[in-house]
Amino acid sequence: MTEFLQLMVSGVSLGFTYALVALGFVIIYKATEVINFSQGGLVMIGAYLVYNFTSTWGLPFALSVVLGMLATAGIGLIFERIILRRMVGAPVFAQVMITIGLLFILQNLVTAIWGPDPLNLGDPWGVSTVTFGEVVIQVRQLWGMGLTLFVLLLFFLFFRFTPLGLAMRATAIDQEAALAQGMSSKRVYMAAWGIAGATAALAGVSIASGAASLSPEVQFYALLAFPAIILGGIDSPLGAVIGGLVIGITQSLTAGYIGDIAPWLGAGFESVMPFVVMVLVLLVRPYGLFGTPEIKRV
Amino acid sequence: MARRSPYLITDYRSDLRLFGSNWKRFGLLLMVVAFIGAPLQLDNFWLGLLGLVAVYAIGGIGLNLLTGYAGQVSLGHAFFLGVGAYSAAWFGGQQGWPMLLWLPAAALIGAAMGALVGPIALRLSGQYLAIVTLGLLFIGEHFMVQWKAVTGGTRGTSVNADLAIGPVDFANLELFGITFTRNQGLFWLLWGVVALVALMAKNIARTRPGRALQAIRDRDVAAEIIGVSLSRYKVAVFALSSGIAAVAGGFYGAAVQQFVSPVEFGGIQGLVFSITFIAVIIVGGMGTISGGIVGALVVGALPRITQRFADYLPFLKSTPNDSGIILVGQFNLMLFGALIIVFLLAEPLGLAALWRRITTYFKAWPFSY
Amino acid sequence: MRRYRGRALVGAALAIALLAGACSSDDDAATTDTTAAGGGASEVTPGPGFDGTTINLGVLTPQSGLAAAIGNPLTAGNQAYFDRVNAAGGIAGKYQVELTTRDTEYQAPVAVTQYNDIKNNVAMFVQVLGTAIMDAVLPQLKTDGIFAGPATLDAFWVREPNLMPIGAPYQIQAINGLDYAVTNLDAENKTLCAMVEDSPYGDAGLEGLEHGADDLGLEITEVQTFRLGDPSYTAQVNALSGAGCELVWLTSLPTTTIPLMTESNGVGFAPTWLANSPAWNALLAEGDLATYMADNFLLMAEGPEWGDTSVAGMAQMLDDLAAYAPDQVPNIYFAFGYAQAWAAAQILEKAVELGDLSPAGIIAASEQIEALTFDGLLGDYTYGPVEDREPPRGTTVFEVDPASAATGFLVALEVDLISEAVKDYKFED
Repeated sequence: MTEFLQLMVSGVSLGFTYALVALGFVIIYKATEVINFSQGGLVMIGAYLVYNFTSTWGLPFALSVVLGMLATAGIGLIFERIILRRMVGAPVFAQVMITIGLLFILQNLVTAIWGPDPLNLGDPWGVSTVTFGEVVIQVRQLWGMGLTLFVLLLFFLFFRFTPLGLAMRATAIDQEAALAQGMSSKRVYMAAWGIAGATAALAGVSIASGAASLSPEVQFYALLAFPAIILGGIDSPLGAVIGGLVIGITQSLTAGYIGDIAPWLGAGFESVMPFVVMVLVLLVRPYGLFGTPEIKRV
Repeated sequence: MARRSPYLITDYRSDLRLFGSNWKRFGLLLMVVAFIGAPLQLDNFWLGLLGLVAVYAIGGIGLNLLTGYAGQVSLGHAFFLGVGAYSAAWFGGQQGWPMLLWLPAAALIGAAMGALVGPIALRLSGQYLAIVTLGLLFIGEHFMVQWKAVTGGTRGTSVNADLAIGPVDFANLELFGITFTRNQGLFWLLWGVVALVALMAKNIARTRPGRALQAIRDRDVAAEIIGVSLSRYKVAVFALSSGIAAVAGGFYGAAVQQFVSPVEFGGIQGLVFSITFIAVIIVGGMGTISGGIVGALVVGALPRITQRFADYLPFLKSTPNDSGIILVGQFNLMLFGALIIVFLLAEPLGLAALWRRITTYFKAWPFSY
Repeated sequence: MRRYRGRALVGAALAIALLAGACSSDDDAATTDTTAAGGGASEVTPGPGFDGTTINLGVLTPQSGLAAAIGNPLTAGNQAYFDRVNAAGGIAGKYQVELTTRDTEYQAPVAVTQYNDIKNNVAMFVQVLGTAIMDAVLPQLKTDGIFAGPATLDAFWVREPNLMPIGAPYQIQAINGLDYAVTNLDAENKTLCAMVEDSPYGDAGLEGLEHGADDLGLEITEVQTFRLGDPSYTAQVNALSGAGCELVWLTSLPTTTIPLMTESNGVGFAPTWLANSPAWNALLAEGDLATYMADNFLLMAEGPEWGDTSVAGMAQMLDDLAAYAPDQVPNIYFAFGYAQAWAAAQILEKAVELGDLSPAGIIAASEQIEALTFDGLLGDYTYGPVEDREPPRGTTVFEVDPASAATGFLVALEVDLISEAVKDYKFED
């Protein structure tokens, strides 16, 4: 039983990490209908910027995180303003490929500045743990979960109660109609990229905290989060969190039990299990569990 | 009566002609001369690189049919190259089949695998399809690693497949008493295949199936209404593009690398490999056959050219201890990203469209259109 | 009519091109022929990568991408040794050495392209980093008859005439590590397990462990595997902990070691980890994991403790490090690169002595040299014809000491341990 609970805790924690990364995807998709492949790059540069503020400049950790979020939001804004703004109306494929191009630039910018060796982010959580009954949870995992829920709450409040959030929802539904109502789609796009950048930095902190966990590989969490966003439906913040949890728990339980249940699937099947789940769900529900179906008008 | 302009296309026959004008025929002649002469003039490095470029071109042409013509976005192209490479390793290497047998086998297996993915494309559209094909890379890598007998597991396997047509062995080419190097012989083989694949793709693209694919790309509902069977064409184009990718992969394994491992075709490395092919068609030109070839030349050769000139560019450094701001390898990867962005922003239809604009300008001169 | 004329034109072009080709390929043959002839006793004939005064050597290493953390210090080690050689006049006292470094990005197709770029301008490759990269380049090395030093400790390379392996392979580390555990950690009464990467590197570690367990009469209770880049190791830690593992053999890279140790520390799983040398990164001893590492982790590597100047090879390396790479921190990859260049220099000296610095001459020299020696920095490697080659079989057992920054936080418990079990281990193809 302890083993099961421990696997669940690990799966939930992993799931929240995926969810936090996924929320960045969701907000850009909601506003622009583009899957932003450079999200992983934003996560990466966000984490390295926080490292820069804590370890290189010696600022307090909380302040560093806030600065990192602001700086990464700024990078998102710059991307939108300089590059993606020009692509409004272009085929979706072209916009997606642009974000892939941005990913290559971000990845190599980071390794050119900070090098390839792993680093200590400089977070206060380290490797300390909390014990609940027989289950052990790392403090950094708890913080990761808390931050994800906090961001989800902010997203909810933002979409529900702010004019910009309303404009974003309206623009997502019908850009022209929103424009006709006096909502600036430019502001919406910029806001989406800014929020995605800030979320990415927070996700980066969540991934890279702990002992010597900041390395260029941080970016790959964005790839691993794809099954989560697709599963949840790519335009639903709540779906992203649920999708993240489903994928995280599936992965953790697969790792724990697949060797006993289906050893013929081979070692390391847990790494591909999220993708298998994703493909199966998509075949049944082409827009994910909570996504909005695209209606084809003739 | 004024002489009819040679550029005016007045009937369907002339629209279908491959090399309609004298200029195009002259271009063909230049290409033939380059094809025959390049291996005799270029050094071993450039020939080796052009071998890889030929693989990019073959795979790029296949992807262009799928993405450029039919508008289906796939991030799983590398997986099908892997299928081809391992077919070459197994049938050509382990079983010792001659090239004229293992190559069609690779193409058929690749096409069959593609046909399996096709139905997913019927169910999903656009970005969802892209993500599912991304999943294919991870799932595919896992099963490649498991199937040790064929793939050699995580380490990989050498590909000792035969590269001969009858008595003519391109890996050890001897013609008229002259012995050619491996890279010389393989240049002729690989670029000959590029020409054949391009011709086949062009024939598909300019006739009924090609127009059907473009109709699907531009508006699938409308295409269906005018009588294009979505299910048939989507599955067929996936099969075709994957079959061509498998041919590219077969040569990648047997001719270019001679040793392949599953990580090259799956997971993160596989994703980068797939993106390379997408970059090839973006740079060369989406929806044009020549675009795949031109794009392959640019994407394949540019990193090596910047490397050659790294000493003259003060911001580049060849080793971490040199003076300079950024390593050549990092710069090249950033350049790769920048290339995708710049083309999509400035010339979304690639070099092919740029070329067409330039030639049209001169054809129509002194009029501006 | 027009079509026929077109065909004739093409035919003429073909004929011209073929004629031109006949000439140029003849030229190629002529230039390569001259290099085959050996030089006299005092003067060595110039050949590829050797212009009569300077020897050019190739390095294929990842400078960008994820493996750069290994490639950069290793190449710095190569360079430091050749700086030493050049300061002393060069190979055989007269031939300066230059390195031509190319970035493989740790990707096989890039590596092959880069190999083709420099293969005609180098006498040999002093470093080719990574099993996957070595595998990708090896077919061409054989075709071209060029010699190269693999920068991996896999046992695949022992019987390859084109390669210059150094150091004890991963299997040896595992067997000796197990022997150490039997003698010092009461392994016979403890539950032995393994945690290995799903890769050739992991296979090598496990192979050695199984051989050692067989020889020492131990049973391996649980084997867990993982993929490089897995986001969580909870399942594996659970399984190992559930099986009651008290000794765990670990074949991993730091990317895995760090989160794995964090996870184990978190859930209070504290076996004794015995690890292959590449698992180590100094950051493990600097942060919050330091206490856990000091209590539970032993690293199997080769050679003396960093800074142990009583070993001549180490003293020499530290002198050169101070002179040529003063910013370098203690790093096992730097030491490996230094030893690798040292090995290459020995073979080049032999080739000069034999009067032939051509690629074929260098391979011949490697078959005539009796052993590659490193004054204790690494174990001596018996060379000669490939079938006679014997890797060193010694392993140094290190423990982690967070206070010992000068030794790279690693303190030797037993230097150059050669167990009985390791002596009958055979290296086959």
